[in-house]
Amino acid sequence: MRKILKNILDYLDSKVDYADIRFVETNRENIEVENGILSTYNISKDRGTGIRVLVNGAWGFASSNDLKKEALLKTAAKAVKIAIASGMVKKEDIKLAPEEKHIACYTTPIIKDPFKISSTEKLELLIKATNLMLKDKVKKSEGSLDFYKTHKLFLSTEGSEIEQTLFESGGGIAAYAIGEGDFQKRSYPSSFGGDYATSGYEFIEKMRLLENAERIAGEANELLVAPLCPEGVMDIVLGGSQLALQVHESCGHPVELDRVLGKELSYAGGSFLTLDKLNHFTYGSPLVTITADATLPGGLGTFGYDDEGVPASKSFLVNKGKFTGYLTSREDAFKLGLPSNGAARAESWNRIPLVRMTNINLLPGNLELDEIFSDIKQGLYLDFNKSWSIDDKRLNFQFSTEIAREIKNGKLGKIYKNAVYHGITPEFWSSCDGISKEKYWHIWGVPNCGKGQPGQTMHVGHGTSPARFRNIKVGASK
Amino acid sequence: MKDKYFWENFIEKVKKNFEGLDFEIVAMENNSGLTRFAQSYIHQNVAETNLNLTFKVINKDKVSIVKLNSLDESEVFKNIKRAIELSKIIPKLDYHYSLLKSQDYKIKGEFSEETANFTPLNRAQQIIRLVKRVNQKGYEASGALETGVETVMVANSEGLFAFDRETKVDFNSVITKDNSTAYHSFINSNVNHLDIERISDELLDTALRNVDQVEIEPGVYTVVLSPEAVAEILSEADYAGFDGKLIMEGKSFISGKQGKKLFPESITISDDPFEKLTMPIPFDFVGCPRKKIDLIKDGVIVNGVFDHITAIKYNMECTGNTLPPESASMGALSFNIVMKQGEDQLEDMISNTKKGVYINRFHYVNVLNPMNIELTGMTRDGTFLIENGKLTKAIKNMRFNTSVIDLLKGVDMISRERHTKSGFVGPVVAPYLRTNNFTFSSKTSF
Repeated sequence: MRKILKNILDYLDSKVDYADIRFVETNRENIEVENGILSTYNISKDRGTGIRVLVNGAWGFASSNDLKKEALLKTAAKAVKIAIASGMVKKEDIKLAPEEKHIACYTTPIIKDPFKISSTEKLELLIKATNLMLKDKVKKSEGSLDFYKTHKLFLSTEGSEIEQTLFESGGGIAAYAIGEGDFQKRSYPSSFGGDYATSGYEFIEKMRLLENAERIAGEANELLVAPLCPEGVMDIVLGGSQLALQVHESCGHPVELDRVLGKELSYAGGSFLTLDKLNHFTYGSPLVTITADATLPGGLGTFGYDDEGVPASKSFLVNKGKFTGYLTSREDAFKLGLPSNGAARAESWNRIPLVRMTNINLLPGNLELDEIFSDIKQGLYLDFNKSWSIDDKRLNFQFSTEIAREIKNGKLGKIYKNAVYHGITPEFWSSCDGISKEKYWHIWGVPNCGKGQPGQTMHVGHGTSPARFRNIKVGASK
Repeated sequence: MKDKYFWENFIEKVKKNFEGLDFEIVAMENNSGLTRFAQSYIHQNVAETNLNLTFKVINKDKVSIVKLNSLDESEVFKNIKRAIELSKIIPKLDYHYSLLKSQDYKIKGEFSEETANFTPLNRAQQIIRLVKRVNQKGYEASGALETGVETVMVANSEGLFAFDRETKVDFNSVITKDNSTAYHSFINSNVNHLDIERISDELLDTALRNVDQVEIEPGVYTVVLSPEAVAEILSEADYAGFDGKLIMEGKSFISGKQGKKLFPESITISDDPFEKLTMPIPFDFVGCPRKKIDLIKDGVIVNGVFDHITAIKYNMECTGNTLPPESASMGALSFNIVMKQGEDQLEDMISNTKKGVYINRFHYVNVLNPMNIELTGMTRDGTFLIENGKLTKAIKNMRFNTSVIDLLKGVDMISRERHTKSGFVGPVVAPYLRTNNFTFSSKTSF
């Protein structure tokens, strides 16, 4: 394959300012079980090639599942034609931030290849876990496992040749307690499909799905008869899973430089973190430090090189409360006179790289969990996302969680259902006055981040530990 | 693109490889191009050629699914074998998966040669026309124009064979100048129906009024919703409420309420591939013919839509709403949502409103509570105060928390005019609506 791709680059070399070519092959195994019965066992293999060219300062991209040399030559010619069409409506030549040539290989370090674990073992785990949850009003239980092995080959006219093999493993369980006119859901280890990592099957074994199945079923049953979450302004503690979503929506997306530059305006929107705010804006309290780190072992946004051939890196987005950096591609970084920090990622061969999150992490603080709760007289502990919405500049957000627990005089109390909290991004992060220690810190894998047209789903990670926020507006959905 | 005869030959060639077991095959081939623009220049411009093949093997009561995106003969045969092997080791289903017999299809997708052959150059020319027009007024344009052709083939070992191809043009744009913005979208089967001049005029008309936005206080308001906003509400309601699987599990607001009159008689919502304004989809992903399904008729809850598996499990009829094999556990979605028109004109809906809000577009809508379809989301790109029958001021963006049930109960005016907009899986035909029961919960500074 490498030889054919090189031939295509040779063909393009005299016709373009720049070209890159990506071959991607993804093998996936997805198993879903409901109430102890298999509902889906899907195996898939998807492969193809995407060719991106810059001609007279304008982009063109064409992709095809046909891997024959003649077909790829046609695809390359199509990419050039598209770039020429782009050039009809341009303002200035697109330029890329400089990047060294890389000849490299990267493979996710794993202990157990998930594709070599028997189907029977995986099925038994899900069947047992979903059966364990069927207690009292839990009339429906779900369990899923999801494994990816992605082989990528990147070549560019700048001479880079990068080969990567990424392994991803994920899964989770959920219990639904169903009553008259109401149902309540509890998920483990996280909502919307569970937790994911760049890891082997050992990640699934560490989840302890069986050990947690009955507990979450019990919580679902409790929620069904629980009172609605009280309304008011109070102190809250966000659990790690919900905090991951909070970081994702209110920090991860607004620091994407393409949004800031208006490139997503018609669809996902812009950002309140405009260029004038870089290094001059208080994003949160001095406790709040947020990094983008694609080098974290196990993070779902961990890789060797991004899809423009830029090495994975760590950078500070918010440092002690001050807004200090964006996620960038080579094209967008050039506009700021900076090198790319390696955040241009494509869902697969048939999509262009866009500025995407890698692992966006709220760094841990210095408090024990009981210290986080200890000086709250009346508040709420909220965790496991149920619903999310945020405006097109990423300021006004409202999230709801699967479960809320009363905090009274520093102690956790009764359960409430249908909890909702609301805030304005910088005000919310400025109210953060306690973050728990590293031992409570976990990188949550989010496998469903959507962006772009045509749509792309990206796998990203968020390191968080439970944190405290003061005077937050809370309430309940009806 | 492969034609019907190619797929007939393909089925003949591969069927012996299933070793006498039952099978379903779904093929989806697409050839599409999408040009994206921002700040009045093209910043992304892409094309995709792809073909996905899914083999489902039914080995007594065991069903396995294998998917690939290659027609390479050795790959195809290898993956059929893989599906057969997998079907031997997985557990049994708790129902008998039966295959549909050969079916007749009364409708077909719309295909336009011009749309199938629309080039990147053609797309750029359309964008130039928009950009020139809005730039003259000091605005910049962002958006996307997609054109393409897709074929779907479904076949099974009972002799069912379904083939369809359709073209699509999907356009959307936001124009901006400082805080002034406007949005418009267009979806159709034929690119000849894309009228950039008319769209440009509508964008400018909204944007030129959407200036000097004022704040209003949260609360319950009478609102007039554009077809764009109505389409979003209907798509969310369909996803959270009208899926037969959710209904049978007791997880939908419809569960146990079939036959009850919850809404005004003017409310009729269906999944209707025969509607003139929609883009018809003739069959679902097991080859079940599409038909008109009433969801709400004259204000009365009828029922939801059912996929093949849910229909088998609960002894219901498949309504032609089965999703692709890899999404089967999701249940069903409506492919052609249609809301019946009323008798009103938009102008009358506004002139008869003493105090209210006109909403052009929602942003980031999500379900808060599926049991009453309470939704939350934001307004954007054209929200206006209505005072004494006139649009008087532009309003800063607002967050809403409102139940679709309450919203529909409060509908007292529906326009005759309807438009076709993008939904989750297919087009949505929606009118303008006026409802007196819409809750804004908070505001923004922009």
